[in-house]
Amino acid sequence: MRRAHDVVIIGAGVVGTSIAYHLSKHGVDAVLLDRGDIAGGTSSACDGHVLTIDKNPGYDSRLAQKSQAILHDLIQQLPLDAGYRNWGSVLAVESEEDMEAAERFAESKREHGTAIRLMDRAEMRADAPNLAEDIAGGILCGSDSVINPMALAFGLAEGARQNGVELQPFTEVSAIDLDEKGVCAVRTDRGTIFTRAAVCAAGVWSPRIAATVGIQLPIRPRKGHVLVAEQDRLPYWRNMLEFGYLMAKRGVPREVEPDMEQCGVAFVFERTVAGNFLLGSSREFVGFEPGVNPEVVRLMARRAERFFPCIADVHIIRVYTGFRPYTPDHRPIISPVDEAPGFFVAAGHEGNGIGLAAITGRLISDMVLGKEPIVDPSPLLLERFAAN
Amino acid sequence: MNDDLIICRCEEITCGEIRSAIWRGAATLTGLKRRTRAGMGLCQGRTCGTLISRILSRELGRPVSSFEPDTSRPPVVPVPIRVLRGDHE
Repeated sequence: MRRAHDVVIIGAGVVGTSIAYHLSKHGVDAVLLDRGDIAGGTSSACDGHVLTIDKNPGYDSRLAQKSQAILHDLIQQLPLDAGYRNWGSVLAVESEEDMEAAERFAESKREHGTAIRLMDRAEMRADAPNLAEDIAGGILCGSDSVINPMALAFGLAEGARQNGVELQPFTEVSAIDLDEKGVCAVRTDRGTIFTRAAVCAAGVWSPRIAATVGIQLPIRPRKGHVLVAEQDRLPYWRNMLEFGYLMAKRGVPREVEPDMEQCGVAFVFERTVAGNFLLGSSREFVGFEPGVNPEVVRLMARRAERFFPCIADVHIIRVYTGFRPYTPDHRPIISPVDEAPGFFVAAGHEGNGIGLAAITGRLISDMVLGKEPIVDPSPLLLERFAAN
Repeated sequence: MNDDLIICRCEEITCGEIRSAIWRGAATLTGLKRRTRAGMGLCQGRTCGTLISRILSRELGRPVSSFEPDTSRPPVVPVPIRVLRGDHE
């Protein structure tokens, strides 16, 4: 391990590897650290959706779209196949009353430049013949995609390595040191690295690292379950999510049992490149407790069967859980830190880390190199939490 | 072992692919799985796990016992969705 680098990146998930890759394209002398393996944390315990369809109209939609566009070009350059597929995604709308809300949602998304359209009952049935018959319609976004998050992280890391970035997995950061000018060193269990720039991309584990320079990050672990179904039993060829859950997040109640709301259970369907499908989702604050909760699995299975009754006989081969880095306003923190010059944060993406990894890498690269940021980062800066 | 030999039968991953992933940095069963899909299939590595440990051991020059088994997750065997969801209609 070299003793000095211009930039130290902490965390080798999709976000950290994307930062490493973007910096490497400018020939920056960087090292990428992780206490475990590449893609060893949340990036291997999530799904692979690259979505704009579920984002709030406005800044969040534009950010997701920009990230999608960067990713679309990026994957062509990677040395490994990241399993990127542009299958599109659909929001399934359960009732005719919800169709009116869906129309308004689609309209406001279109005003912000997202290419989406409504599908009526007949069109929806033609596109998804296995869907429950009472589903009223849907919203289709053709630019939405899936990717293999682990393959993306490995591809970005390998690309960065080929451009000169040093990869240093299985190296745990204990503290970041400051001097009168700002960041001066990163201490690890394999020695100290002298540097003037440290990027914290440790996702849900970021608060502990930021605390060593006296910075409090409002990031909490939000646990999610994912069910993996056997191969070659696909009920549908695109991604699908339930529209009702987007509305529930905006305060319009769904007609589901209270347990389902309590565990944040919502139908999410992902077709993977390997031919399996993944079923989500759940959202719970239970600290770092990783166990699979059979009750949550039951609710998720029920919810999935409500949309695709034909999957009742499909086998689930694995259930895993992951911790999403939640922030109070559901936006990531992509930011320099005024109190600790040279310290940057790229964390708190909750369920959007895969989709926003590309733009995050680009933005941090712009910030570290002092370039004009590719998008206005002000809604993502850490100082927004101080102001409140 | 021949490089063309299939080690993970569910995902059809060969010995050569596994060796290549070890050379690219995989140092654990979990790391190998995430790079190659070996052990991600229907049997969840129950068939190939031991074999992969032996390849890791040989390539990295460490005893088989030094490699942690991959994280095991429920269900232990594939279970139909209708069973998981129960009968609460």
